[in-house]
This record gives sequence, structure tokens and C-alpha cells, in this order.
Amino acid sequence: MTQAPQPPVRPLRPAQRATRGLLLTLAVISIYAGLTMQTDHLDWGVAVTSFWHNLQLMIAHPHLGQDTWPALWQAFTNTIALALLTTLLGAVIAFFLALATARPFAPRLLALAMRSLMAVIRAIPTILWVLVYATVIGLGNEAAVVGLTFHSVAYLTKAFAEAMETVPPAKLAALRATGCGFWLTVRHALWPEVRASLLSWTFIRFEINFTNAVAVGAAAGTGGIGYNLFMASAFNFDFQEVGLIVYLLLAFAIGLELIAIRMRRHLAH
Amino acid sequence: MLTITGLNKTYPNHKRGLKDVTLTFTPGVTAIIGPSGAGKTTLLRSINRLITPESGTVVLGDQEIRTANAKALRRVRRQIGMIFQDYNLIEELAAIDNVLHGCLGAKSWLAGILGRYTAAEQERALRLLSEVGLADFATQRCADLSGGQKQRVGIARALMQEPQVILCDEPIASLDPASTQAVMTLLTDLAKRGLMIIVNLHQVDIARDYADHIVGVNHGQIVFDGPTSALDEVALAKIYHKEAVVTDA
Repeated sequence: MTQAPQPPVRPLRPAQRATRGLLLTLAVISIYAGLTMQTDHLDWGVAVTSFWHNLQLMIAHPHLGQDTWPALWQAFTNTIALALLTTLLGAVIAFFLALATARPFAPRLLALAMRSLMAVIRAIPTILWVLVYATVIGLGNEAAVVGLTFHSVAYLTKAFAEAMETVPPAKLAALRATGCGFWLTVRHALWPEVRASLLSWTFIRFEINFTNAVAVGAAAGTGGIGYNLFMASAFNFDFQEVGLIVYLLLAFAIGLELIAIRMRRHLAH
Repeated sequence: MLTITGLNKTYPNHKRGLKDVTLTFTPGVTAIIGPSGAGKTTLLRSINRLITPESGTVVLGDQEIRTANAKALRRVRRQIGMIFQDYNLIEELAAIDNVLHGCLGAKSWLAGILGRYTAAEQERALRLLSEVGLADFATQRCADLSGGQKQRVGIARALMQEPQVILCDEPIASLDPASTQAVMTLLTDLAKRGLMIIVNLHQVDIARDYADHIVGVNHGQIVFDGPTSALDEVALAKIYHKEAVVTDA
């Protein structure tokens, strides 16, 4: 009886090797940290019981603490407003920058320069841009608006430019051939073809900006629901209020997702 | 009258698109035939400067197109309609919206950007759709139309420009025989109204059936230019036979 031929062992790709190397390194660091951790004053029993008790308070007994409903509502709407404003500003600016980035419109060198600049901006997390602008402008809403918008512009410029590049250049040429100039071609040939995609990307960015707006509320002192969450957890240790705020955020996220699903269905038809 | 004189075009990969092309077009159907890559599309697109030749002149009426500035180019393009093999309609929009695009170039910038069309323009677009047999499809999305219907929307869009010339870049290449006949009959009817119809074709028999005049292109050069009746086997050999090919030195 002949043995079935064995499939050849394929060598790992560089990306697979890098992933495995990273996981191995993290495993070694975790084991080392666990072995060398100072546990002299740690009572594992108390720690586990407290953890379980706090978790129960958060999940099963959400309740108002230091804040009132009107205060929480105002903070929540501030955060939504921050996300909405920065997304809209980012989308409008990104649309025009995408025209200078997408290949059908931009010269090769300009497109390359724009792509590189946007990649650099995107490489630095939003929260760091907010902190950078906080040092320039000062802590507050202004830094949050500029920082969140800055990153949104870079993100949406790339997404919009890629959407624009999917439009066949011949369709744009067809409108130019009727005597239309650049902006008429953009308005009547490009816009109808990409608006669904652009709207979808803008909504995704709104979701991201809402999350970021919560984070910068605490980190950059811009207020909003993130600040209340920070105060309730790290300052007041009021886990019931933390639970309440988390539930509010969760409800909003589910609401956004439902809107996104409806929007995608609508755009698909 | 449309006159082309000494037109030359070389692509960045050094491929010669057009070599010293001189032609005169008059009202009627002129078919441009030749093998693939002969320069038919380059010739057609040089007329409305979707491709810019290096030298030569293209004159429609009294307007020189090759060296025209942006404003003059937009103005002269309004007089030249164009239909494409792949239709190049905005598929997400209704047929009537695509037809109305034909008059955008003649509108004020603001009215164009806002997409404000007058009642007269809308009536005309509907009438043109009716002329091409698509009155019942005016509000239908172009994505839902058949190939033949899309091409007829393309013709209505070109007619909306009230052009002197209609350039047709292989308009029947993607169509079935029935749609081919419908589109070519429509084009010949338009030619009878005094329009110059310049149509790139791959099918010699279709060119013979519908064209008044035939231009044969090979390797970017005009190797035949005469009435349809003069297109004999010798002329076809010059257009399609490899021995007749004139190579670029």
C-alpha cells in the first residue's frame, strides 16, 4: 500500500512570522510580570470579592450618584454635538481634499503628496492630536474640536479619495464632452456615483468620533459624558453611576448601529 | 463643416496614434473603420479634444479646437455630442436626468451646480426620450435599462446639446442585432436632419448599410476616404490587410 503524498510545508510569510514573534514576546513578558509581581499586601480573597461586588454594582444596580439626570443629559448631548460637529467639518473638508488626492482629478505628484501627508496624520491617534492641540490652544472644547476634526479629515480624505477612484474616468469624460467644466463634472457625474459611499464612510467616522469624544472628555478636559464617567470611576469610585453611564453609551451605540443598518439597506436599493 | 488638417498624436509609450491626418466631414453619416488599435478612437476623441493632439488643426465652423482655451473649448464642445460604447451614463440617476446633463454646459454655473432646469428644458428632454422610443422609461434608473435602451438615452443626451456633430465611439459594439438596427437607424435619421454623424465601427457590413461616407484608418493614417460605394475589396485590403500597413519610421 502506497502512502498518500504529504502536502509540502509552506514557509511562514513575513507578516505571519511577525505576528507569532509579537505573541511570543507578549507571552514571555506576561509570565515574567506575573512571577515578579509584588503581592505582599495583596489579599487575593478580598480582591476577588471586591471585584465581584463592584461588577455587580455596575451591571445590576446602575444608579445616579453625584450627578443629576439633567446634568448627565447635558453632558451626553455635548458629547454627541462634539462628535457630530467634528464629523461634519471633517467630511466637508475631506471632500475637497479628496479631489486633490484621487487619481482621476489630481496630478500624480500632488496625489502622492496628499496621500503621504494624510497617512502621517492618521498614524498618530486622535487622542494624541487632541493633546497636541491642547498644549497649543489650551485644555477645552476648542482643542477637542480641532484635534478630532484634524484626524477625521485625514481618515475621510483617504476613504473619499478611494471611493472617487472607483468611478470610471470615462463617465467623467462623457460629461466634460458636453461642455461641462470641472465643478459641473464633479457635481453631476462624480457626486451621484459616490454619494452613497461617502455617506456610509461619514457615518462610520461619526461612530468613531463619538467614541473619541467620550475619551477626550476625560483626557483633554473637554467635558461631556466622558468627563462624568472619569469622575464617577477614578475620582468618586461610584460604580453604580459608572454602570448607568456605560448603559447610556451602550444604548446610544446600539441606536447608531440600527440607523447604520437601515441606512445601508436604503443605499443598497 | 468640420475640417481636420495635419493632425498628429503620439502616446507616451511612443505608439503613434495619428499620423498627418487630414479629413473633411460634411452632414451625413461618416463611418470610420479599421483594425483594432488603428487609431479610430484617437481620431474621434481628438475632434472634441478628449485627447489632445500635438500638432494640426481641428476646425468646426470658425472655431479651432486643438488650441482653444478652456472657455472656448467648453463652448465648442456644446456643439459636439458624443456617445460611447459603454454608454457612460450616470447609472444611479433616472434616464431623464442623464438626458438633461446634455444642456448643463449651456447653463449658468450656479444653475448648473444646483441642477435647476427650466420647464422648457425638461419638456425637451422628455420629447427627446420620446423620439428615441423611451418615453415610458423617463423616470427609470439607468442601471435598470438594457444596453440598447442605455445607448438610446446616450443619443438623447447628445441631442439635448443641440449639436452640429455627433461622435459615436463604437456605439453598437455591446448591442444585440435588434438594438444595433434601432440605434443605427436612429443615427441615419438624425443625419437626414443635417447633422454630421461620425461613427467608429468594427463591422464593415454595417458601415456599408448605413454610412454615406467611409474613412479607413490603419496605423494612425488615413488609407481610404471616399463614398460608401467606392469601398471595394482593394480598399478593404488596404484598410485591413497587413501588407497595406504603413509603418511609422
